[in-house]
Amino acid sequence: MQLKKIKPGKIKKEISVAACALLQAPATVYATDAEWDVDTAVLYYGEGDGRVTAFEPAIYAGRDLGDGERIDLRIVFDVLTGATPNGAHASSVAQTFTTPSGSGTYTAQAGETPLDDSFKDTRGALGADWTLPLDRLSRVKLGINASKEYDYTSLGLNATYLKDLNNRNTTFSAALGFTNDIVAPVGGVPIGLSPMRQPGDTNREGSDDTKTITDVMLGLTQVISRTTLMQLNFSMGMVDGYQTDPYKIVTVVDPLTGLPDNTALLNLNADALPYVYEQRPDSRQTNSLFFRTVHHLTSDIINFSYRYYWDDWGVSSNTFDLRYRYQIGKAYLQPHVRYYLQDAADFYRHNLVQSTDVDAGGNVLLSEVSSDYRLADLTTTTLGLKYGYALGKNSELSIRGEMMNQSVDDGNVPSGEETPDLDAIILHAGYSFRW
Amino acid sequence: MKHTITYILLTFVLFTQNCFAEYDQAPEINLPSIDGSVQLSDFKGKVVYLDFWASWCDPCRASFPWMSEMKKKYGSQGLEIIAINLDKERKLADTFLKDMDINFIVAFDPSGESAERFELRGMPGSYLIGKDGSIQATHLGFRDKDKKKLESAVEILLKL
Amino acid sequence: MKSLTYLAIVLLTASCSSMDTVKPWDKDLLAKKSMRPVPDYFDNFYDEHIYFSKEASTGGQSVGGGGCGCN
Repeated sequence: MQLKKIKPGKIKKEISVAACALLQAPATVYATDAEWDVDTAVLYYGEGDGRVTAFEPAIYAGRDLGDGERIDLRIVFDVLTGATPNGAHASSVAQTFTTPSGSGTYTAQAGETPLDDSFKDTRGALGADWTLPLDRLSRVKLGINASKEYDYTSLGLNATYLKDLNNRNTTFSAALGFTNDIVAPVGGVPIGLSPMRQPGDTNREGSDDTKTITDVMLGLTQVISRTTLMQLNFSMGMVDGYQTDPYKIVTVVDPLTGLPDNTALLNLNADALPYVYEQRPDSRQTNSLFFRTVHHLTSDIINFSYRYYWDDWGVSSNTFDLRYRYQIGKAYLQPHVRYYLQDAADFYRHNLVQSTDVDAGGNVLLSEVSSDYRLADLTTTTLGLKYGYALGKNSELSIRGEMMNQSVDDGNVPSGEETPDLDAIILHAGYSFRW
Repeated sequence: MKHTITYILLTFVLFTQNCFAEYDQAPEINLPSIDGSVQLSDFKGKVVYLDFWASWCDPCRASFPWMSEMKKKYGSQGLEIIAINLDKERKLADTFLKDMDINFIVAFDPSGESAERFELRGMPGSYLIGKDGSIQATHLGFRDKDKKKLESAVEILLKL
Repeated sequence: MKSLTYLAIVLLTASCSSMDTVKPWDKDLLAKKSMRPVPDYFDNFYDEHIYFSKEASTGGQSVGGGGCGCN
């Protein structure tokens, strides 16, 4: 490049053009400087009555690497103990089941909801996200998620593209995720719709099975005013592969007595108990429309979200979630309400009725069935309260307590066989700081 | 040698970038400052680095030490720095300034009116005003790699 | 339901463009951590995990969050 004798006027113009080509850096609304943002938390979840108890410590650390680049890391441990419903319902007679390993039994007394308590599980999960700016107004975020427990392994990758528009008042996002899960149940993968057998005799189709999940999401975040922000996301997912719960069964009952009946099932196997393993479809297409708004009052903040979910299993739901933050100087009190209404999956059944659903040879006449109450018509109501205290400019201590009630609508079932309400306590303590 | 490199750099930038931000005279500013008031037109003949900031804007925090450094280095050559605060509450600005070493002018505009007149598009946002009072350059944000470019632009304007 | 979804998206997008742009210096409140869509990382994380294990609906807020053999 030649250096020419430049006249003062021309220099001015060159500076004008050149200097204003000083490419603008992202002036983000929530900016942090080059230090670690750390969040430590511990969760206690308890259902009471010998049912599931979970203890989950976790750490999050995020750091801006300069020029809009950022990494976010997360590590979580999950220690689960306690018993879970196995899909069968309380009956007027005592019931005996075989444990997943196939070597032992457990029983439910008359009138007792059968619970399998052979679960003591520890799970570890890692997540990492890397945000890279593409230009002043757009960026891409790449993420990885991995988790492992003794009977389940999950590995997922995801990518999100974000672009700011309208003077950064609008953010458009498009995300894609792929996850691969491997299920290796204790005792192996049971043959769906086949009878549960006495201990020692197993009918397994293999030691493990897999499923893949592909999801896409389109999102829009919009600044409505100085005090209000809104967000709308539309997601679609496709799950392919083994989605059955390998530990859940469905009871076969006599049409007249309503009691568990293995007469027909004995034609398939001499050790058959009056229960068959559940079977879910191997494909599931999910959709979700999610809306959120955050609104700043004089000193308090309202955060409300609504989600409508529907899939091709027949499940659909409405979720309402409201948090109201009462600011009191350095502290805040935040009541929380969550209300969830679910419509059952098409293949959900309370029981299988002999003759109607199971033929005389013991063959189940449905291609899919599950008695897992989590696929039933149900309502979950959660009420909680959180207290937070700012210890410094960038550190906060908080505790949260919630009560969750889950109530299943069994429809017309013999009294004594209703699915009992689930009541759980959630306790969460957290400490966040900058390091 | 240094000037040659700078001119080459700028000529290169000129040929590779495209820019349409051509403003003329900087709008007038008449605002209260830490110790009195400040009027932009008083600084004709000097190069003014005009910066818009707020306590809630973190990149602004990073730009302050750099602005002090610039004033120290080029103040005697005719550089003036005016940092206009856009916080809606004065006490938020005061808390921010408390742990800063300020050797430049700080003005306060809670109404945001001056930012409106300068058509500010982001925070932090700065304007380089030449000795003739015209806006020579605009800049949004503040990253580490911006420091050198901004300093070069200041040097060139001071020499005109 | 599908048509309602598309209508909602179109309406929101259309109304966005006709809205008065909020000036950069008027984003003081929105810059607060408490004004983020998800102000507390683990609040949202733990809740999503609990409800994913206890209900039949999933997601809506992100993609590929990782699975678990939740019983």
